[in-house]
Amino acid sequence: MEHKTKVHERIYVALMMLFFYLPILYVVLFSFNASRSLSKFTGFSIEWYEKMFADRMIMSAIGYTVLCAVLATIISTIVGTITAIGLSKNRRIIRESINQVNNLPMLNPDIVTAIGFMLFFTSLRIQTGFFTMLLAHIAFCIPYVILSVMPKIRSLDPNIAEAALDLGCTPLQALWKVIIPQIKEGIISGALVAFTMSFDDFVISLFTTGPGVSNISIYVYGAIKRVNPTINALSALIVYVITIVLIVINVVPMIKERRREKNEQNFEKSIS
Amino acid sequence: MKGFNRLIYPYIVWAIIMIILPMLMIVLYAFTVKGNDVLTFQFTLENFVRFFKDPIFPGVLWRSLKVAFITTAICILLGYPCAYIFAKMKPNNQAVMVLLVTLPMWINVLVRTYAWRGLLSYVELSSEVRVYVGMVYNFLPFMILQVYTALSKIDPALITAAHDLGANDTNTFLKVILPLSLSGVVSGITLVFLPAVSSFFIPKFLGGGQYLLIGNLIEDYFIQTGDWNFGSAISLIMAIIILISMYIMRKLDREPKEAEVN
Amino acid sequence: MKKLIQVQNVTKTFDGQVVLKSISLDIYENEFVTLLGPSGCGKTTLLRIIAGFLEPTEGHVIMDGEDIATVPAYKRDVNTVFQHYALFPHLDVYENIAFGLKIKKEPKDIIDQKVKRMISLVGLEEFEHRDVTTLSGGQQQRVAIARALVNEPRVLLLDESLSALDKNLRKEMQLELKQIQQEVGITFIFVTHDQEEALTMSDKIVIMRDGEIEQIGTPLEVYNEPVNEYCARFIGDSNIIDGIMKKDELVNFDDVDYVCVDKGFKENEPVDIVLRPEDIDIVPRNKGLLNGEVKSVLFKGVHYAVIVETSSGTSKTVTMHVTSNRDVSNPEAHEHISASSFYMDLEDVPTLTKSEVITRANAQAWDDDDEYVSLNKVEYNVDEKVGTYDCTFATEKGTEITIKIYVVEPTVIEDESNEEGIQAFDFIKTVDEIKESVALDTDLIRWADAAAWNLEDESRVEIWDVKYDFDDETITEGDYQVTFSTQGRELKIETTDHIEEGERIGLKWAPEDVHVMRKMGQ
Repeated sequence: MEHKTKVHERIYVALMMLFFYLPILYVVLFSFNASRSLSKFTGFSIEWYEKMFADRMIMSAIGYTVLCAVLATIISTIVGTITAIGLSKNRRIIRESINQVNNLPMLNPDIVTAIGFMLFFTSLRIQTGFFTMLLAHIAFCIPYVILSVMPKIRSLDPNIAEAALDLGCTPLQALWKVIIPQIKEGIISGALVAFTMSFDDFVISLFTTGPGVSNISIYVYGAIKRVNPTINALSALIVYVITIVLIVINVVPMIKERRREKNEQNFEKSIS
Repeated sequence: MKGFNRLIYPYIVWAIIMIILPMLMIVLYAFTVKGNDVLTFQFTLENFVRFFKDPIFPGVLWRSLKVAFITTAICILLGYPCAYIFAKMKPNNQAVMVLLVTLPMWINVLVRTYAWRGLLSYVELSSEVRVYVGMVYNFLPFMILQVYTALSKIDPALITAAHDLGANDTNTFLKVILPLSLSGVVSGITLVFLPAVSSFFIPKFLGGGQYLLIGNLIEDYFIQTGDWNFGSAISLIMAIIILISMYIMRKLDREPKEAEVN
Repeated sequence: MKKLIQVQNVTKTFDGQVVLKSISLDIYENEFVTLLGPSGCGKTTLLRIIAGFLEPTEGHVIMDGEDIATVPAYKRDVNTVFQHYALFPHLDVYENIAFGLKIKKEPKDIIDQKVKRMISLVGLEEFEHRDVTTLSGGQQQRVAIARALVNEPRVLLLDESLSALDKNLRKEMQLELKQIQQEVGITFIFVTHDQEEALTMSDKIVIMRDGEIEQIGTPLEVYNEPVNEYCARFIGDSNIIDGIMKKDELVNFDDVDYVCVDKGFKENEPVDIVLRPEDIDIVPRNKGLLNGEVKSVLFKGVHYAVIVETSSGTSKTVTMHVTSNRDVSNPEAHEHISASSFYMDLEDVPTLTKSEVITRANAQAWDDDDEYVSLNKVEYNVDEKVGTYDCTFATEKGTEITIKIYVVEPTVIEDESNEEGIQAFDFIKTVDEIKESVALDTDLIRWADAAAWNLEDESRVEIWDVKYDFDDETITEGDYQVTFSTQGRELKIETTDHIEEGERIGLKWAPEDVHVMRKMGQ
């Protein structure tokens, strides 16, 4: 169905993109505003960035967010991958029931999952804080990891592990040297999903964290009541980081490709 | 591979503790009286009766469903044409478009909603409309991506075949492309409707406290009031409504059953 | 018969690449036409132009006297059965077949009648309301045929439609398709790369190559009278031989003249000659037109496929010096070492590396437990001159062995009649190395560094045969002759007579079985 995009279609897509990017541009612009106003741009300043870096609450929120996302990603990726491999070797009924259970946090509204955790932790008299927040993050990330690793495992040759064992691998070696390399893509995309889920999470963190521990979302939620342009600076910072990360992810392979081509040309020159 | 099947045992234990138990806690709290100790429960239906007898609460529930429904409808109306245009582009441009739609989703939801608060301060809008803008902004990318995925999976040979059998462009769209992309619309609906029903910070940020939804009620009862039993009952009511609507959606989606992989 | 479609000078380019080069083709009513050719020959592009999915860059497609080259597909009286069927997965069997009629807004009862008739024509009565994704390949195929035919097209196009089916089912569908075509009495244009399929079903075969038509004819014509080597290779399994047309009705190959029935060539014009395997008869030695030796016999169910060598290839014989094993033991270090002297080509001296020396000498060291020990010293001093040089290998613990490297000039044998050159070197091996070889022929070629090439363009020619008269199980020290040769003239023959490998026989054919073709591109 590939064909040339018509003019009215281009306009429509352009309007859509404007809708998507307008608020982001707005935040970046007003993060440089000289005054507190959120509607009048009075002049350029980096005051709000200075204030942001000086604000210990913001810095600790960033720290908690990153720490929690990194730990949750590592743990949920390992557990999720191992579980997915185990699942593929189990009977259908077990697979189905685990999938059903995994669907609970994925299909339930976040707020329901969140109050579940809150009730659970407080009933067990566990002091809420960073640890409970991390546990909750791990719990909701694992199903996503399983979900992205599973299809890769399913497309594996079912005899691949047997072949490895036949050639003298121990089960652990078979796992590490044969199975894991083949499902690497699924594991990486699972880890990426887990990281973003954890990094962006608000609702579950709000209900499972304790006094003094906030992530970025909770900080923004708390600070919204007052007009506070440091949030603009914080938001803009997030935009910068994500833009840079995405550019690196998308451009680096391109540069590598170019360099490879260049090298090949040089190589050809050197032998001819 | 004997032995590998045992790899799931730790997760089974984990899932029971960290997924099933918390869910059961909600049910338990919803059906018990406030001030219970963990060991002495007093069961009651009082929480549910209270909800439906209240002059405001059923209205809030109804409003939440309405907001979610209208948000979903707007997302389909805006998102489908967009996805359709994407699917017709050259493969390279398609990838760029998908990236452009995905990119804002990487930025924290609260940050994006916060940005709209500032932007919308330029125009006079009712709090209801402002909530809709925030909702559509947050959920539209999900709809576009789901529909796009479904559209791009359609075998181009099917469109050629439809032309071959005498269908012009309109007929081909109505009889082949649209029915085959419905599965994407359905999964888009689940991704939009579900979080929209329970959303609570969008109405809070953009509705200015004037336009409360059921998510705000739950948050209030847990964080401010501290009446967890009643809060659990509200969550349970919401969860059940969502479950029913999901069930209806699945029924509507008569996607051909995929052949069993195993 | 009436002309139904005329393709006139159709050219198609994609991004500057020419896929069809001014194709012209007439298709008649009620004809079963097959477009035959390998992938990339343009046959599918031509089909898609007739169907209306592509517009020709230049040229006309005339149907009923009207140019339809730019008429969109949905307005043409033509329907297609797609390669992977392209059935609509959201519709059941009935709805798929009814699709075209519903688009035309035919009355419901008429649609029902027509669809039911089609369903019974293709024998899917029990599957009317089945989900198409649950059908087998053959059933899907039938749905696709019915879905196209129900629109009563004047032409049915089939795009490699049988290629997704397994062999038996494909045979069955070939017959069924032919029957359906005769029953509905319309033109079928079938695209395939399978020559057998083309021969079984078609009234007319169009052989295509690189966007051009090579030959058009009935199956019998294209089989018996291929116009060139390409068509001959594509249709049937043939012996295609380079020859020279001496004069009318006399052709020469492998330095012998043979009578044929072809004429109209220039005197001494180089030609290709086709000899069909089934046209060659086996007769006693010296009773036929030429003699040969049976190289292989394969039973094919009904007949034997026999390969007969009628003239030998280019060959070179070398001497293999077999020595006893010369392991050197070093009791102090509990190590052993072995290596063999070797011959090498003077030309290879400049590029000689240590690892190559180790490989050629088959040098290795091991300890008392039979574990390999690495060689950390390889010393040799070879000049770019013919001569004998010393080479020493040693391990870290000082276990060492010295061998000889004989640098020699290559002796090349050039065979002008075969236009081939071949070279190989004498070599030295131990008894054990020969006994341990698992693929002796390949190892002998490697050890002797045997290679053959075409004298004209220097391209590599495969070493086809290795002959030796020792038994590798019981070989002892001494010198042995090994002969390497390229493939000679080999003829494929189909026969029902039983014949033994190695038998010397004569071959015979009738003059009319020799098909002489112009060289391609001339």
